[in-house]
Order: sequence, then structure tokens, then C-alpha cells
Amino acid sequence: MVVDELDLSDYSPTTTATTTTTEDDHGCNWNGWSPVVDWDMLSGDHDDFHDLIESMMDDKTMLHHHHPARVLNVHDGCNSAVSPGTVMMMDEEVTNNGGGGQDFKGLRLVHLLMAAAESLTGMNKSRDLARVILVRLKELVSPTDGTNMERLAAYFTEALLGLLEGAGGVHGKHMLNNGPCHRDDHHQTDVLAAFQLLQDMSPYVKFGHFTANQAILEAVGHDRRVHIVDYDIMEGIQWASLMQALVSRKDGPPAPHLRITALSRGGSGRRSIATVQETGRRLVAFAASIGQPFSFHQCRLDSDETFRPTTLKLVRGEALVMNCMLHLPHFSTYRAPDSVASYLSGAKTLNPRLVCLVEEEVGPTMDGGFVGRFMDSLHHYSALYDSLEAGFPMQGRARALVERVFLGPRITGSLARIYRARGDEESCSWGDWLGAVGFHPISITFANHCQAKLLLGLFNDGYRVEELATNKLVLGWKSRRLLSASVWTSPNSEL
Amino acid sequence: MFQSKKPTSMNSTHERVVVVGNTNNNNMCVQGDSGLVLTTDPKPRLRWTVELHERFVDAVTQLGGPDSQYLNINDLSKFLMHHVPPMISYMFSYVAMDLHLYVVSFLLLTSSLYKFSEATPKTIMRVMGVKGLTLYHLKSHLQKFRLGKQPHKEFSDHSSMKDGERASALELQRNTASSSGIIGRSMNDNVHITDAIRMQMEVQRRLHEQLEVQRHLQLRIEAQGKYMQTILEKACQTLAGENMQNSAGYVINHKGMSAGNNQEVGVPNGMKDFGTPPLNFPSLQDLNLYGGGGCQDEQLELQQGMERSSSALLDGFINITDHNNNISQLAGKKRLSPNYTTSGSGANGKSPLIMWSDDLRLQELHGTSASCCIGSQDHDPFIKGDHHHQIQNIGLSMERGSSDIDSSVSDLNYETKPMQLAGGEIKKFDPSARLERPSLRRAQQLSAERMSPIINLPQGRASPFG
Repeated sequence: MVVDELDLSDYSPTTTATTTTTEDDHGCNWNGWSPVVDWDMLSGDHDDFHDLIESMMDDKTMLHHHHPARVLNVHDGCNSAVSPGTVMMMDEEVTNNGGGGQDFKGLRLVHLLMAAAESLTGMNKSRDLARVILVRLKELVSPTDGTNMERLAAYFTEALLGLLEGAGGVHGKHMLNNGPCHRDDHHQTDVLAAFQLLQDMSPYVKFGHFTANQAILEAVGHDRRVHIVDYDIMEGIQWASLMQALVSRKDGPPAPHLRITALSRGGSGRRSIATVQETGRRLVAFAASIGQPFSFHQCRLDSDETFRPTTLKLVRGEALVMNCMLHLPHFSTYRAPDSVASYLSGAKTLNPRLVCLVEEEVGPTMDGGFVGRFMDSLHHYSALYDSLEAGFPMQGRARALVERVFLGPRITGSLARIYRARGDEESCSWGDWLGAVGFHPISITFANHCQAKLLLGLFNDGYRVEELATNKLVLGWKSRRLLSASVWTSPNSEL
Repeated sequence: MFQSKKPTSMNSTHERVVVVGNTNNNNMCVQGDSGLVLTTDPKPRLRWTVELHERFVDAVTQLGGPDSQYLNINDLSKFLMHHVPPMISYMFSYVAMDLHLYVVSFLLLTSSLYKFSEATPKTIMRVMGVKGLTLYHLKSHLQKFRLGKQPHKEFSDHSSMKDGERASALELQRNTASSSGIIGRSMNDNVHITDAIRMQMEVQRRLHEQLEVQRHLQLRIEAQGKYMQTILEKACQTLAGENMQNSAGYVINHKGMSAGNNQEVGVPNGMKDFGTPPLNFPSLQDLNLYGGGGCQDEQLELQQGMERSSSALLDGFINITDHNNNISQLAGKKRLSPNYTTSGSGANGKSPLIMWSDDLRLQELHGTSASCCIGSQDHDPFIKGDHHHQIQNIGLSMERGSSDIDSSVSDLNYETKPMQLAGGEIKKFDPSARLERPSLRRAQQLSAERMSPIINLPQGRASPFG
């Protein structure tokens, strides 16, 4: 059989060497080479890695250079006994399959990623091996070129690398700050452009916002004063349409006074407070332009992003709504789960009329551990990528921008979260958490459901909305659930 | 004649009557001139024969059923059965979740609804056109008819009925079992249709609601789009402000790279003209910026573009602002003509690409210290760094008439982003106007209007691109 050579030389972008020699048996000529990759030992299953390596023998990578191959010795990182290693040699033949090649390649990338994830936390835990694999992956993929799978794999690779270098992910935030996709690195205009694109290309943003807004409208139908506390206001997009809806409301008081309190993260300083203030100004201007009585407030979170209900200014007689958007553009950076937990539990003490929660829907994660959730996350984001591509197959660069600005950091963040929680119990969604804490679900009305369906109708056919529970609408792409919007109320709120 | 208003006054007639024969209530019936069958008892009463009854029913259905307040389902069903091809009425029996079906059914319903009017004795009399039929005849018969159509309903439901009438109604029903039996049977056949029609009514209600929801959704999306625009405008303005400060030092390189057409034009004048006009940011249309229509060979695009556009530079500038006059002095350049093809093959890079990138990159690119390439509104070929850079033509749609485009500076490393020409007056693009599928059409209609300006000033500005 053809053995492949894996070039694991310096972590340089130059790609693997190719030699034209093909070996018929495994370890024959490699005595001269110092390190040997002991694939047999590393993988529990022989065939996996063999296939893996064979799969790596192919096409795509630029085989321009011919370096002498060096194989990294990973013996040291290995735990168990050594058996004669098999060395793979990369064959020069580039198998240029047509369409099948692409799927093949995608599959190989998935295998590689899975192998990397396993080596990070799996049975054969080996950081070096992980590093090896990740380097290899990095050579194979690029964040801006190639198919969806390739770009996705690139981001996952970077995320995994971040995990790797993050020293076990003790300090999640530090790790992310070192990541290449840190949010603040992005130019503000990049962020805006990407946000605009994301909005136009996919229904994710609008779905969450509109569903929540509709629920809010229905809940405060007869109130004169409405107070909304927004966990992450970002640019305040959500409230523009709410204000418009409030202004054109037929029944009830003509235009209730709307008060929005945005939480700003004091800890991260720099942009956050200024951004929130800017958003407030914009909202005020917009409200004035449509004639909506409006006032805007800011509320600072603690340095550790804990929400203290007492810092909130409440007015008697107003309907309180807690808004918590945790989906795509809002969650680009890693938000400590404690922060969200503090927000939601603080919400409980305030007895709001309504709690709107939009979050990412994770698949049923059994006890797959890190790898299981990793694969689930991979599945999730690949569905995301597919959905973006399906709508706009031509606009690769636009999608790449969105991926870079939003999806990449998000991938990093969620992987970090998964990694941190790998030893813990299963992470449940915030919706379940709300239910467990004592909030009561409010059912999604027909109008809301209908609006969601109509909204999706504006986009690609593959999107679908389903009503998972009486109070939860889930947006999905083809067969994969992506976003869920749920509506809750406090059991003690005066309704 | 039987013009008397009360049935009891039939006695006074001296009409020639014809004995019809016995009916099951053993009354002699005679038929008058008008074709009405009367009983011969001291109080001649109108005998509702099957034939007459059918005419009555027809008239009632034409008028919208015996219940004048609301549609009578049975009548509607019968009406539909008669007037609508069976296939469609069968379709009605399915509660489809498809909006189209709703629309169809709704339209059909409404069209049929228009024919309905109130079924009162007066109107029935008019419609039937039977002489000798009085309002009282019709009134009582109508009541009985209503009762008869709902055999399950309690007679007590009809509050308008008096006891006596109710009793007589019962009796009448029994008595006219033979004649009404046929009618009843045909009514029972319609039970399924009844249910279907009931569902149909439900569907119609839902349809109304859906239309409402759709209207609201449209408004909300519009509002969101407007708001988004304000954001982008402000961002643009801030960038424009920064840009102005550095305008002096700029050298605009017109697609220097690939095409080798290095036209350098000092732009200070033009840039000064940038005020803060309203800016429309590119919307989805700008996706073409990124996509280039999938044309991989962007070099080719670039070259094409370059060939076409003579005055690379400031087409973007030109088109952008209100101050066209000012700009015109910059160039006798023609406006970016709307031959922007939005198709994927990438629009011709008509306008100059002015790239704002950091020193380093541009230096290696052009060898100039600070060169800015501003993608013109029409399209932005993005020069990506070195020779491998690809200029992406933005297929900004001129279709939208957006002559003003935000050029976007590309991230030289990654993709190019449309760059907002500072102070450019972007044609107002109403993003909310499109609620259609954002398919190729949207992609085609790129107007750089909503692109946020990405102006990376060369000096002393950290490149965000990597």
C-alpha cells in the first residue's frame, strides 16, 4: 500500500513535502528517520488513523515544495507502549476527484478535527498530538478559501489551537483575548458591515428580535409604561421595530412610554460604555423621529459581569420586560455563564411581566463529553454556514466577512465554554434553566408563529420554524435546530 | 287574488281552484292560478309542495341562506356545490397551511360572498317571483326552513319562535316529511362539506390574521432598516470626519496593482467636498461586493473594469456627493454609468478602487507611501495586497439607480469590504422595499449604500486586517 508521509516539520505554512517514492510496507525505510509517528499506538482503532492519514494524502494542499520529510516524534507524549510505528508518506499523486473529492475532503477534515478534539481531551490525551494534528489542519484549510467545510474547519482549528495554548482553558477569557478573532480587533466598520450582511443574508437576527418583540407587544398591550431591560443591546436594532410597532398600535394606549435600560459591561471598559451610550443616543433620535415617547438608561454591570437588580431603577406601574438575546451577533465574545445566570436570576427577583430569551439551540448532548459536544458544535456551525451559503452562493467574500467577524469568535467562545464544562454535568439550555427556576412559560401566539413563518419565507427555503414547546419557537436549517426563542413570565408578576 | 296579507283571508278568494288531491294530512288541496297549492280547509293554507319548496330553497341560497346575519354553512355549501367546480370545493375541505391556498379560498369566498345578501321574506318573494306568495307565507316557511336545516339544534334555540309556532313547525316538519325528506337527505350529504366549510371559515379567519401579521412585519422590517441606516450613516460620518483630516496626504491609486494603470490623482479637493450628506449604506446588494458573482478570476474582472473605467479615481467621489459640481472639476470623469452588471461575473470595475490600507501593504503594493483606493460606488474592485490580490468588482446595482456607492476598502488580507466614500451622497436606497426573497435579485442590486465605510487611514492606524 502506499504509505504517506506526513510532514510535521516546523509549524510553517509551507506545506508538506511530497516524495514520489511509494513504499509498499510500513516501516521499511524509515529507520533512517529519527522520529516516528506511532499511529497505531495513538489510535484506539487502527483503521481510523490509517484512513485519516490516507485521507490526508491528498489533493488540496499545495504540493509545491519538496522538502525532506521529517516526522515528529510523539513518543514522548504517548502514554502506552510503543508498537512499531507506521510512517505514512505523502504520495505525490494528487487524487483529483471531482465533486466526490470535495465531500471526501470535508470528511477528512471532520476526521481530523475529531482526532484533534479527542487528543485534547479524549482517552489518549496528548497535547502534542493535538498540536500536530492542528498544525496539519491549519495547512489544509484557510479561513477565506475553499468550501464551507474548509472554512469552518479553519475556524475550528483556530479555536482548538486557542484551547491548546490556553493552558487547559483555566482562564477562558485570557485565552480568547489571545485568539485571532477577538472581537475588539475588528474595526468598527467591519463589525457594522458584517452585521448588516448577517441581517440581510439570514433570518437569525430578525427571527430572535421579532419574536421577542411580538411577545412583548402582546404582553404589554394595555400598559402605559413599559420598561425593558436589555442584557446586550449592541446597536439597539431590536428596539427600532418594537418602537414602530408600539407607535402604530391600534388598541390600548396610543403610544406607551418606553424606557429601555441597557446593561453595559463596566469591566471591559473602552468600547462598551461608549457604545451603549451611542446606541442610546441613536435610539432616542429614532424614537423622536417616529413619535414614540422614550427614555434611555444605562446600568453598569459589575466587573465580573454580575447583574445586581438593585442597580436598576424601577418605576411603579410600569410593565417590566427582561430581554436576553444570546444568539448570533450578540454573543460574539465569550460571555461567562455566570453573568447570564446572574441576569436571569436577578430577573426573577424583579418579577418581570415578561422574559424573552433567544439562544442557540444545542443538540441533545448525551455523554459525549467534550468530543461529543464538539461534534455537535461542528454540526451546528456547519448548518449555519450552509444556510448562509444556500442563500447567497455567490457572495463568498461577504460570507467570509461575516464568518470572520461573528462566527469565528463565536466558535471560539462556544468551544471554550464546552471545554470548560467538559468535566461537568450536561449543560442545559437557558430555557430549561428558566423553567427550572420557576418562570412560567407563555405560549407563543398564532400571530407570532405566523410572523416567524412569514419572515422565513423571505429567505431561503431551507429554514423552518417549529414550535417545540408552547412558549418556544425554534428556527432551524433543514434538519438542524439553530436558534430558539422562548417567552417566560414571572409567576408573581401582576398580569 | 291571493293578495291578502293574512293566510286567513284566503277565504275570500273566489279564485278558480283546481282540486289537487289528497295529501297525507288528508286535506284537499287546490291549485290556484298562481300555481300555488292551497288547502281546502276553512283556513286555506298554502301547501308547500316539493316543487315550491325547491324554488324557495333556491331563492334562499341565492340570497345567502336563511340566516341573514351570517352565512349559513349548508347553503354556502350547496351554493358552492352548484356554482363552483367540485374540485375546488373539495379543496376547501382541506385546511391547508399554505398562504396561497388561503388566498385562493379567500378570494373565492369573497367573490361568492358578494352575491349573498340578506334572505328576508321580501327578498325571497322577489327572487322567487311566484304570484300569490305572501310575506307571511314566506316568513313562516323561512322559519321552519331554518329549523329544518338544523335538525340537531334544539328548537328552543330559536328565541324568536313562539311556542305555538314551534309546535306547528314540528308538526310541519313531520307532516312534510316526505317533501322535506329529500331535502333533508341532501342536507345530510353535506355534513362533510359542512365541516369542511367550517374549517374553511376558520382558515379564513386565520388568513385575515396572517395578512395583518404580514403587514405589520413589513412595517417592522422597514423600521429596522431605517434604524440600521442611521447607524451606518453615523459611522460613515465619523469616518468621513477622520478622513477629512488626512485627505491631504492621500494619493489615490487607481487600480495600480494589477492593471498597472497607476493613475495618481491628488484628491484633496474632492475630499474636501465631502460634507456629511446622507449616506446610504450598501445593503444586501453590496453582497456583490463580496461575492463578485462568484467569479473566481477577479484579476480578470479587475482588468476589465479598468479598461472600462477611464478615470478610475473619483468616480466614487463624483457620484457620491451632492456636490457634483465640485467633483466634476475633479474629473471630467463620467459618472459611473449604470452598466454595472450585477451578475456574478463581477461588475466591471468602473470606478477607481481607492484602497485604504496601511502603509505597509500599500507600499509593497504600489510602492507609494500612502495610497488609498476607494472603491467606487459602482463597484469596488478590491485590491488585495500583492499580485494575488483580487479586485472584486462590486456589482452594485445601477438598477436601483443608486449612483452613489460606498466604496469599500477591502481587507487586504481577507476579503474586501465595500468602502464608504466619505461624505458621499449615497443614493437613498430603501432596503425595506424589498421583502422578496433575497435571492440573486437582491444580490444583484447591490448598492454600496449600506456598507459601512471602512476607511483605514494609512498613517498611524493599525490595520484591522490582520
